[in-house]
Amino acid sequence: MLELFTPHRETWLYRVNPALKFVVFFAFMLIVLFNQNFHFALNQLILYGVLVYSFSGYSWRKLLLFSVPIVISFVSSAATMMLFGKGVTIWWSWGLIKISEESFNYGLLLGFKTLSFGFISLVFLLTSRPILLFYALMQQFRLPSKYAYSFIASIRLMPVIVEELQTRSDALKIRGVHFPKGLKGIFQRLRMYTVPLFAQSIRRAQRVAVAMEAKRFQMGAKRTYYYPTTYERVDAVFVIVMVVSFASALVLSVR
Amino acid sequence: MNNHQQNSIMQVSNLRLKFPGESSLIFKDLSFTVSQGEKVLLLGPSGCGKSTLLQVLSGIIPHSIEVPLKCDSIQLPESWGFVFQDPDTQFCMPYVDEELAFVLENLNVPRDKMGPLIGKALSSVGLPLPEQHILIQTLSQGMKQRLALASVLLLKPDVLFLDEPSSLLDPEGTIQIWDSVKEVAAEKTVIIVEHKIDHIADWVNRVVLFNDVGEIIADGLPEEIFDQYKQEIAEYGIWYPQVWEDYLVSTNFKEINTLRRQENLSRLKPQKTIIKLQDFRGYRGKIEKINIPQAEIDGGSWITIIGDNGAGKSTLLLSLMHLLRTTGQYELNGNLINLQNRKKSPPNELSLVFQNPELQFVTNSVFDEIAFSLRLIGLSELEIRTRVMSLLELFHLNVNEQRHPFQLSMGQKRRLSVATAFAHGTTMLLLDEPTFGQDARNTFAILEKLEQLRSGGTTIMMVTHDRRIVENFATEVWTIDQGKLVKMCASQNVSEQKREEKHCAGIIHTT
Amino acid sequence: MKRLKFSDLLITIMIGVVFGITMKFWDDLYTVVKPMLPIARQLLYGMWFMVGPFAFLLIRKPGVALLASIAAASLSAFIGGGFTVLIYGFVQGLAAELLFASFRYKKFGIVVAGLAGVASCFAGFFLDLFYGYANLESWALFVKYGLRVVSAFLFTGVFAYLIVRALEATGVTNLIRPVSKEEYSLLDN
Repeated sequence: MLELFTPHRETWLYRVNPALKFVVFFAFMLIVLFNQNFHFALNQLILYGVLVYSFSGYSWRKLLLFSVPIVISFVSSAATMMLFGKGVTIWWSWGLIKISEESFNYGLLLGFKTLSFGFISLVFLLTSRPILLFYALMQQFRLPSKYAYSFIASIRLMPVIVEELQTRSDALKIRGVHFPKGLKGIFQRLRMYTVPLFAQSIRRAQRVAVAMEAKRFQMGAKRTYYYPTTYERVDAVFVIVMVVSFASALVLSVR
Repeated sequence: MNNHQQNSIMQVSNLRLKFPGESSLIFKDLSFTVSQGEKVLLLGPSGCGKSTLLQVLSGIIPHSIEVPLKCDSIQLPESWGFVFQDPDTQFCMPYVDEELAFVLENLNVPRDKMGPLIGKALSSVGLPLPEQHILIQTLSQGMKQRLALASVLLLKPDVLFLDEPSSLLDPEGTIQIWDSVKEVAAEKTVIIVEHKIDHIADWVNRVVLFNDVGEIIADGLPEEIFDQYKQEIAEYGIWYPQVWEDYLVSTNFKEINTLRRQENLSRLKPQKTIIKLQDFRGYRGKIEKINIPQAEIDGGSWITIIGDNGAGKSTLLLSLMHLLRTTGQYELNGNLINLQNRKKSPPNELSLVFQNPELQFVTNSVFDEIAFSLRLIGLSELEIRTRVMSLLELFHLNVNEQRHPFQLSMGQKRRLSVATAFAHGTTMLLLDEPTFGQDARNTFAILEKLEQLRSGGTTIMMVTHDRRIVENFATEVWTIDQGKLVKMCASQNVSEQKREEKHCAGIIHTT
Repeated sequence: MKRLKFSDLLITIMIGVVFGITMKFWDDLYTVVKPMLPIARQLLYGMWFMVGPFAFLLIRKPGVALLASIAAASLSAFIGGGFTVLIYGFVQGLAAELLFASFRYKKFGIVVAGLAGVASCFAGFFLDLFYGYANLESWALFVKYGLRVVSAFLFTGVFAYLIVRALEATGVTNLIRPVSKEEYSLLDN
């Protein structure tokens, strides 16, 4: 697992302030979300594709592997929209299914958005360390430390939760628990799995919180940082590159 | 207690405290004073409120945890550090250096001063790691507790609160944490709550004994208390230094021994083999985690499985239960099991008790919990009731049968989980460290119940780190080393073959 | 209404994380097993709205629904869902939070929790409009979001409520609920 997520070289994107990177990418995502222009969506997709495949520092083989789920969701979201989307210029129809020019375009637009989201998320995840993201959010974007450390502490406990989920699943098999079909079964499954997990996690979270306060963590208090994060020249380069390529994507689409 | 009044570093008078949702007070007008430099050990039965008192004296209650309390006066120490019981729930950062830095950040220590302080704290508790940026989860439990101690030392505390810091550690880890405490706390005031007092009984200079309703029944020098209150200490389940020696000469254990001897005399023909394994391997993902070249398990035996942490002991249990992918030959009661079958369910004849009882409870009451598997096999409610009642009695679960399993005490939960596994009608019980973290009384109670089941014909297989259990209860010892069953020592009678077993256990403990 | 203590905050975020992990676990299950059952998928969609209302019913303090929802979404984003999940989680959590706020954080019943789920569902629909998921033929639109509203009410109202009740029975909720005045007065007995 670890080896899979190790890049073969650390590109300039790794040195960009993670909080700045997060905010810029997040803003771009909002634009992708609200954009309804087909060409603009395509141009953005190309931009993010280039970003992943050229500047993430991972080999193409790994990147193709990471792209598989993104491509699958592209196909499924685009196909559903093409088959069931609204439209009047009908190309082909069969029962409830009908493909029209409009639905085809809606499908492609939706698919491009899905791919864009996938690629940009991938770039971010591959080139940022979560802990540094929280440190930078605290230092550059005034995120209150209580949120940052709660997240960090919770992420630390993730493997324990996964292990408990596995144990619970084994224990239910051993106890001979069988679930009925249908909604009742879904509810029982939900209850059987989550109640003990929540009970454990609530107690655990409370203990961690108490231990953190016993180590003099105070909500809202001033603090120093073990990982000081700042803005550097690479951040300016990042912003300029992103804005310029984004603007070109926009200009090329309305020409 | 007037002699403690001078230069007291903390005190509370007429403390009353009540947990929300509980009907009775946990303390009723309790007064307690600690003087500068004292090393105090608080002893008492589980649930008597010792840990709660530590939290009140440190201010954790009510600052971090809201619990209704009142008192006439309270004096909290100015600087203190707190080490908690569970090594896995007192850190918030993933890496060792980050965790220690977290404390320094809280204290507003400048970044450039952090490095040396971190190094110093680690070496003061005997954890001089060559690389400080390592994942906390890769440390052993004993190392984690020393890390917790290191992190509170950064607070430069006058007072150290230690809330059962060794109760979830193996013997090696226990020695390590207490050695570190003695090293760093010589000059400090220390208040300890602990059931395992082997390593600190002669270090503390004051012992306070509580009864089960949270009243102080004795307070004085350790020698006096240990001498005068021997009976109470044993009754409260405390692991005092001679506890095993005393148990081995108790009527309960003698009876077990007599019965076993009779059993061996009357059993001339060999026992029926219930499981045969040949070249049996268990995998997690694609990686082989356990390998049993060859083994047989006889009905009515008590097998203990020993080995280092991560050697594959729990994996062995999961493999036998078909919860992992396995290969090789697995014969159960003479039937060869098809291990290729991907959808195989756990064999009916076997049942596994996990370390955490809560994860295997499936109902909302003690009664239903045991009745669950009886209902699955379609018994009548009348029959179920009789069987549940007899199991509740067998396992000493004299609680309201409608009580929620999660609301039981630690020891009761553990016994209930064994009872539910047994209600299945199993011929072999697999247990993953069933006595881990339990007090002495609960430990002996569980062992006696297991022995009762075993003499009734059930086969017991359990993972344990406790040498004394291996020596005194097992009929057979399996040693797992790096994913392989490397040694099986058989024994027909505990008392006769003790020497051989001791020898075998000795080998294991030096590795 | 009491403000969030640090332990409340950490518990809320942890609940979000646990939800995120279990959702992932099931999502994998259903994606692999039933990719071609769009109706079943819509009927299960309410699960994604559960976390915020669930956390509120459990902890009963302001801010909890939004925070838990963001935490669950961040976790899902982190393990592969990406930015989309984050945006949806935020907007859906906000809708649930506002609904509880409109009842002054004083109602903890099935109906209010269910309505919070429906509010999340509408918020999600709003985003879908822009994303492009809603450009469907009207019958398909009606079926898709109709099923989703039903599912939202079922999961966040009925199921979340029942699971909270089951957790209350375990006694852990005593750790986290605000302590009542009566509890303090019992000290004088």
